[in-house]
Amino acid sequence: MFAGIDIGSITAKCVILNESLITSCAVIPTDSNPKLAGITVFEKALDTIGYSRKNIRRIVGTGYGRISLDFFDQTMTELSCQAKGVRYLDPAIEGIIDIGGQDSKAIKLNRDGTILDFTMNDRCAAGTGRFLDVMARALKIDPETFGKYYQASKKPCFINSTCVVFAESEVISLLASGETRVDIAAGLNESIARRVGLLANRIGLDRNIAFVGGVAKNIGLRIALEKFLGTKFVSISQDPQITAALGASLIAREGYRM
Amino acid sequence: MNLKVDQKIDEIKTDFAQQLEMARDQGKKVVGCLCSYFPSEIALAAGAITVGLCGTTEGPIEAAEKVLPVDQCPMVKATYGRAINNTCPIFPLTDCIVGETTCDGRKKMYELLGREKPMHIMDLPQKPDEPEAQVHWLAEVKKLKAFLENQLGVVITDTALKEAIRQGNRIRELLKQIHECRKHQPPPIMGLDLVSLSTKMGYNVSRLTYIDQLELVLAELRQRIQNNYYACEPGRPRILWTGLGNSLGCDKVLRMVEECGGVVVCQEGCGGVTRLNDPIDTQKDPLEAIAERYLRVTCSCMTPNNTRLNDIDLLIDEYNIDGVIDLTWQFCHGFNIESYRVKEIVNKKHGLPFLHIVTDYSQSDIGQIRVRVEGFIEQIMAGKDNVYNRSAKSLQNI
Repeated sequence: MFAGIDIGSITAKCVILNESLITSCAVIPTDSNPKLAGITVFEKALDTIGYSRKNIRRIVGTGYGRISLDFFDQTMTELSCQAKGVRYLDPAIEGIIDIGGQDSKAIKLNRDGTILDFTMNDRCAAGTGRFLDVMARALKIDPETFGKYYQASKKPCFINSTCVVFAESEVISLLASGETRVDIAAGLNESIARRVGLLANRIGLDRNIAFVGGVAKNIGLRIALEKFLGTKFVSISQDPQITAALGASLIAREGYRM
Repeated sequence: MNLKVDQKIDEIKTDFAQQLEMARDQGKKVVGCLCSYFPSEIALAAGAITVGLCGTTEGPIEAAEKVLPVDQCPMVKATYGRAINNTCPIFPLTDCIVGETTCDGRKKMYELLGREKPMHIMDLPQKPDEPEAQVHWLAEVKKLKAFLENQLGVVITDTALKEAIRQGNRIRELLKQIHECRKHQPPPIMGLDLVSLSTKMGYNVSRLTYIDQLELVLAELRQRIQNNYYACEPGRPRILWTGLGNSLGCDKVLRMVEECGGVVVCQEGCGGVTRLNDPIDTQKDPLEAIAERYLRVTCSCMTPNNTRLNDIDLLIDEYNIDGVIDLTWQFCHGFNIESYRVKEIVNKKHGLPFLHIVTDYSQSDIGQIRVRVEGFIEQIMAGKDNVYNRSAKSLQNI
């Protein structure tokens, strides 16, 4: 058995793999302790199938917390792990958009599945999961509601700020001027779609793109991004939140074979 | 010979300030300079010591932000901050400063810096390939000569200029040969070690001592190659560094690249190999020859700056490069936009991975940058593995 553990800024994910199949996976919040989250998510995934750590031959760590733990046999960046995981699910995929808690990435793949080019957001959190969380707080709605509101809105507000803090004050001004939460939430979705879509444009992603990361579960953003890019995302057979952990587990398995 | 530099940039500057004070006690004059466009031979011919005043650390930025806007290049802020917050041991020891109209940030900051010391600004033409640019720049070089003669109370003779040119060319030649030792695979010195060493050696009160030191370093590197003593294992991704961030103090990304398994074997840009192969013509009138040479420096403030792109194109082959990293300081519009053309050459012409990083002197983004740098090294390694596997397979087929 092989494990991939992806410790992100908001959630920690673990995938356990045997020679041919995904046998278990788990997702938990990272909270403020990436080290503990890494251990806990691993144990949770093991518990589900009644295995213990000694059944695991190799473990690969990824995500921002990859440096927090010492029981990894190897660490790899989320970039390589996403490429590996997504290609495993669908060999026809040519590009990846990954929106996580604190950054967003666009990755272009070679024909053999290795990375041809990638680009990431600037240091600021605009265009990330954190952005949606902050805006949900400002609007006093659940982050999950964004998708629903996007589909409901007839006239999304135009939100231009490229910084979380400024966007938050822009949202407050819009509320003050009488715009509805539905239209503001929809506008925020479009603003993220623009920012992330431009990242994808920058490296020439135009078709056969997989949308992954925790934020990929936001249906509104998915639609807004598809509209911006002019292409439908490839649907993948796994939870888009666990693809990097899946890639890490595949790398663990490959490393064992070598 | 030990080529390791363990000192921080501030310690080096403090040591250097002591030497400067001793030299000043013996009547030496000190000219502060700020850029690769500064024709240092003129100051040397005036018998002065030249010192670089560019800020490379985060510390002085806070002081600068009391005056300068926050949204400004870190180099501009750090340079100004050092001058006004009394922490730079070198700045007070300068007799005068010379700046050039390279980018807007520097140019406007110099108006304020000029309040601290006698300052001369050279007007740098920005279409250097035009014949008129040469005429104008020569006039600027002559004005610099007059300024220094006046400030320092000396007469700069042609004989002194010719000697300064001879020394300057010798330094460029030695530096070029030092850099070329890194063409060897693996290289005899890590990129960060060479950056630290060159920064330290650059702070020197005597050109002749500087030349001696460079000769020793060159001999040591050649000896290492001869003895098969290398700085790292073979197979490490060989990185060409371009843009900025390639001197001691502001080396956080370069350091990270080597920590993550790469090796920087060549730097294009200030402090790197740029124009080292371009000596001052010793057959011409000295001032004309100096003006011609310095107008060929390839900063992104020039347009269309094709020479920089041609240099990068050639260096990729000469140094057997696996990937190119282009570092831009935040708010440096010139290098930021020019990065697109660099990427075109690296990706399209050479089919190599390219990474553009925009950052400043702070440590606040190192987590995010590390993902990019590690990912970039993984990208190169995956490509190398494939090449290796392909060639292994084709061997089997034979």
